[in-house]
Amino acid sequence: MTKTYVHGVGMTKFGTHADRTLKNLLLDASRQALEDAGRPKVDAVFVGNFLAGSMSNQEILGAIVANDLGLGYIPTAKVEGACASGGIALRQGILGIMSGEYDTVLVAGVEKMKHARTPDVTQAINAAMDTDSNEKHAGLTFPGFFGVLAHRYFHETGATKEHLAMVALKNRENALQNPLAQFQKPTTLEEIIGARLITEPLGLFDCSPMTDGAAAIVLSRKPSPIHVRSSALVSGPTQMQDALDLLSIPAIGESGRKAYEKAGVGPEDIDVIEIHDCFSMTEIIAIEELGFFPKGEGFKAIEEGHTKASGKKPVNTSGGLLSRGHPIGATGLSQIYQLVHQLKGTAANQVNGARMALAQNLGGTGSYSAVHILERV
Amino acid sequence: MKVYSCCGHETVVKRHYCPSCGSSEIEEREVPNDGTIYSYTRIHVPPVEFEHIAPYSVVLVQLEGTKAKVTGRMTEEVTIGDRVQFAGIDNGAYLYKK
Repeated sequence: MTKTYVHGVGMTKFGTHADRTLKNLLLDASRQALEDAGRPKVDAVFVGNFLAGSMSNQEILGAIVANDLGLGYIPTAKVEGACASGGIALRQGILGIMSGEYDTVLVAGVEKMKHARTPDVTQAINAAMDTDSNEKHAGLTFPGFFGVLAHRYFHETGATKEHLAMVALKNRENALQNPLAQFQKPTTLEEIIGARLITEPLGLFDCSPMTDGAAAIVLSRKPSPIHVRSSALVSGPTQMQDALDLLSIPAIGESGRKAYEKAGVGPEDIDVIEIHDCFSMTEIIAIEELGFFPKGEGFKAIEEGHTKASGKKPVNTSGGLLSRGHPIGATGLSQIYQLVHQLKGTAANQVNGARMALAQNLGGTGSYSAVHILERV
Repeated sequence: MKVYSCCGHETVVKRHYCPSCGSSEIEEREVPNDGTIYSYTRIHVPPVEFEHIAPYSVVLVQLEGTKAKVTGRMTEEVTIGDRVQFAGIDNGAYLYKK
């Protein structure tokens, strides 16, 4: 079977880019990735994006990248999968190479959100719910779903708001060392716990921010030191009231199992991890679903420091969505950006000798989950 | 309230085919609308269309006589285990009260 390798990565600073357009960010990250890869001939482009249509009145992102970077008359497409748009775009690029159709693919992700009011962004993001349901009409939101999940998790496991705060604090501490991260101001457990409530029990620091930014990756069938060992994607329940078990997000667990199986490895083989911590609660559920810690005990792993950059399973050494930032369509690719640097030994919060890395990108409340395993060869 | 079941999964969400056995013969039955709070959140930062009613509670109600749960909205604050009563439908949302 054709193997896929990473040849280049690019990423803009995440944060507020009031004076830059969506296109400017997208082309910046794409150009960085192409330069990093040595300007190869590109056979196709996939762009991960969720909100450009509704918030920037801009589509045709694939064609814009191909045209403005002079890539020629090549196939391009935008890929949408809510917050997993970037991870799904990456997978489309990998499948294109595995099929033999393309030798080299550029995958980019972008989002621009900071120019809009929070209630308007919240409304636009709600397009990732089943809007033809009583649940959406009840006024549920994404932070709302994870608030409901958190209260039940507390009830069944004995975890508290302090455990959520420990996740947020760890990711902030990691972001302090990452020059591309959105948040670089130190904080404390007390400040996190005392912050204003968004959707109880989640407070401001438990929720990923609105972010402008872009990230890009060049993939090729030609060998490089970074091998894409497996790619998996799964869809899951689209409504909270339809969950068999509220404390499980089956799309995460299932995408992890498939990725491990295809790669022929297990959670014990993974040295460094980027997880979709759209909320602090989500990181705890995901480390359980991906088999790094037992069900219902993820909060204890956080408490014991196992997921810190210096711990036995370092999670979100980039700062995660919570502090690196979450420009929706770019998030899945910014995870790969961090992991490629980890495998090259050039990352913020470098994990010594990291050889095998896992990225997990979530869309909706578990509607999509993409998992990629990378390996230094 | 209507619940739909096949292969042991009971849900208020209607499906065309059972995800376990693929059958289109999904059993449909009525259950009482009242229940107890399985979990909840209180929404302080709403989407724009709900700004005028915030803060409000979104609740996951464990219905009686079924494994199915339903999502509803309440103006009151609640906690897990509280008994709640169905209070009607408003613009597609199921309303509950203590």
